[in-house]
Amino acid sequence: MNDLHGILFAYHSDANLGELTRPRNTCSLAFGGRYRLIDFMLSSYVNAGITDVGIIVHEGYQSLLDHLGSGKDWDLSRKHGGLRILPPFGYAEQGHGTYRGNMEALAGVSGYLNNIRQDYVIMGWGDIALNLPVAKVLEEHLASKADITVVCSPALKGAPRFSEYVEVSGEGRITDLSIHPSAADKALESLEVYILSKQLLLDMVEYCAAHDVHSFSRGVLQPRLKSLKLVPYIHQGYVGRFQSVGDYFQRSMDLLDPAVRDDLFSPVRPIRTKDQSNPSTYYGPDAVSSRSLVADGCFIEGQVENSILSRGVIIEQGAKVSNSVLMQGTVVKAGASLSYVIADKNVKVNEGRTLMGHSTYPLAIAKNSIV
Amino acid sequence: MKKEVVAMLLAGGQGSRLYALTSHVAKPAVPFGGKYRIIDFPLSNCVNSGIDTVGVLTQYRPLELNSYIGNGQPWDLDRSDGGVHILPPYQREGEQGTWYKGTANAIYQNIGFLDLYDPDYVVILSGDHIYKMDYSDMVDQHKRTQADCTISVLEVTLEEAKRFGIMNAHPDGQVYEFEEKPQHPKSTLASMGIYVFTWSKLRKYLIDDEANPDSSNDFGKNIIPNMLGAGEKLMTYRFDGYWKDVGTIDSLWDANMDMLAPRSSIDLRDNEWPIYARTPIRPPHVTGPDAKLSHSLVTGGCRVDGSVENSVLFHSVTVEEGAEVEYSILMPGATVKAGAKVSYAIVAEEATVQAQATVGSAPDGSEGWGIAVVAGGVTIGEKAVVAPSAMVREDVKGGEQV
Repeated sequence: MNDLHGILFAYHSDANLGELTRPRNTCSLAFGGRYRLIDFMLSSYVNAGITDVGIIVHEGYQSLLDHLGSGKDWDLSRKHGGLRILPPFGYAEQGHGTYRGNMEALAGVSGYLNNIRQDYVIMGWGDIALNLPVAKVLEEHLASKADITVVCSPALKGAPRFSEYVEVSGEGRITDLSIHPSAADKALESLEVYILSKQLLLDMVEYCAAHDVHSFSRGVLQPRLKSLKLVPYIHQGYVGRFQSVGDYFQRSMDLLDPAVRDDLFSPVRPIRTKDQSNPSTYYGPDAVSSRSLVADGCFIEGQVENSILSRGVIIEQGAKVSNSVLMQGTVVKAGASLSYVIADKNVKVNEGRTLMGHSTYPLAIAKNSIV
Repeated sequence: MKKEVVAMLLAGGQGSRLYALTSHVAKPAVPFGGKYRIIDFPLSNCVNSGIDTVGVLTQYRPLELNSYIGNGQPWDLDRSDGGVHILPPYQREGEQGTWYKGTANAIYQNIGFLDLYDPDYVVILSGDHIYKMDYSDMVDQHKRTQADCTISVLEVTLEEAKRFGIMNAHPDGQVYEFEEKPQHPKSTLASMGIYVFTWSKLRKYLIDDEANPDSSNDFGKNIIPNMLGAGEKLMTYRFDGYWKDVGTIDSLWDANMDMLAPRSSIDLRDNEWPIYARTPIRPPHVTGPDAKLSHSLVTGGCRVDGSVENSVLFHSVTVEEGAEVEYSILMPGATVKAGAKVSYAIVAEEATVQAQATVGSAPDGSEGWGIAVVAGGVTIGEKAVVAPSAMVREDVKGGEQV
């Protein structure tokens, strides 16, 4: 399928992830042991045969650049098309503060949009953990003759005050869209992933720029519920959204459920990520590992339980880790004990330390900290 | 474009002493150490040594090896100038193509490839050893001593020396005699099958050797003795790190077990000299509520619910509840079902050991004991028993004993 172009928004986030997003954009937050959040949408695009992907960034994108490189791990390092990182200030007349909304972000890269080779565009945020069958979404988009297809989830995974919800008529058309309501009982949650034609997108970007409207939802969807045919695509699979540290912890723990893993890591549509040539994980003679998801390159001599370990984590003898998420390169020294902890990249927990959070309030430790 | 050094990796051998493990793949493509294949070691050594042009000579069952190497990207050998090249035998104008008759003939047939890069030095490597080595250091010594050929050697015991090509050398390292598998070794310096040649010299000896119909066109048997006889300068290069030939079932099993003790073998976690591999796309491995893991390597995509001790698990291996695996190597995609027991065994790719079956057993001191091998894709039926040192190439029905 080469008639679909992929756009991912990665310019900033409203999410309240505290320490976890200080050194980076939400899209490059580590998740599921060896992934960054952007891997999920990016792989969903690539697995549908999309060859050209533009990623719109604005600030805090160093770690995203490190992760994506030339795009070769997603087979997006190509002579024609492939992966394009679209930073701000790419066009001379642009260049004030952060993008106020996705339409402004798109206007900021309008030169790029004009050169899109494909007739259709899929766009969405790069910070959702899901395995979206994009080929099927396009198929349904074309079959329904919709102007815009909005990908929705029946399972409410976000908090209402940060999410958007749609109501659907009997004929399957979207009749209402509410943005950040205080409650959303019967509606479908919009994942803010859309398929539309390149032409419609270009028209809307121009219209919004001319009318100083920044948001696709407010500027395009809400005013055009009647004039455009808006159709939902209901994604039944797992959806993980990240709007708080608590969310991040809960979504990580979701991965210990085999049904969630089977859906998210479907071998038919594998989630690709940066290859780091880590060796296999080594378990020492007295190691214990139960109900855990462990990436390659770890060295475990202590105990691990109900936890998610990223690549290269070291757990020394006598250390205990339970109900925790340890990102790349975390070192837990001998005799230390961690419970309900989220340790960011390269955190070092020294001998005998005890760190304890709670399932509703996990303790997040900033990148490179030494405890 | 001219290159100072080009490496030629001999990867055409069948590895017949690995029996069922190489019935479908060439030896260099045999999985090793949880994440790797044997060829990753020489290839990574090349890249880490700054050699960016590598010819891989293939002949026996090359398909899997070819697709594994691909464009060389995992080893950073996808270069616009140089990079990795697969070199199968080919046909020339006016003659019938022939297979590679021997190691020297394989290089002879690719003189044209080497001439494209017009190297000063050629490094000859084989695809059946596990080691980390800086070839650039060896090339430096070769240049410094103005040798025509430098041979990497390893100190072995007098007993082991009988199984190797032995270099008898002066104290300054110059070789005066070469003996292939001597009954009464005079020295304990064994050739590791790694050579650096001055290309102009080697080129001449390859052409001369090819003209001799009685030659077996082999480096150890012909080229080295011929050069020695003609008074060329052959030097030894002393290597004292970990080096293991993995040409037999026992040595392959042994070397895999060595990877569990990085302090005494190769440290695969060492970032200074990384070993690269083509990694399949798999999620992290998962351990179940009753999993027991001890002194083992576990790789992405595995699912462990049973007990695993002193073993190496490659990617996508499943060990079900109540299953016991000890001192074994489970290659990619192998499955050990509930209650089965696998000990001192190699279970090859995509093989299945059904519930309650037994494969191999701990050493009991008896004569016939050995590592049991289950070939790729084979199914061992429920409650079947595979005896130690058995080599299972076909499905075993439930309850049967082999």
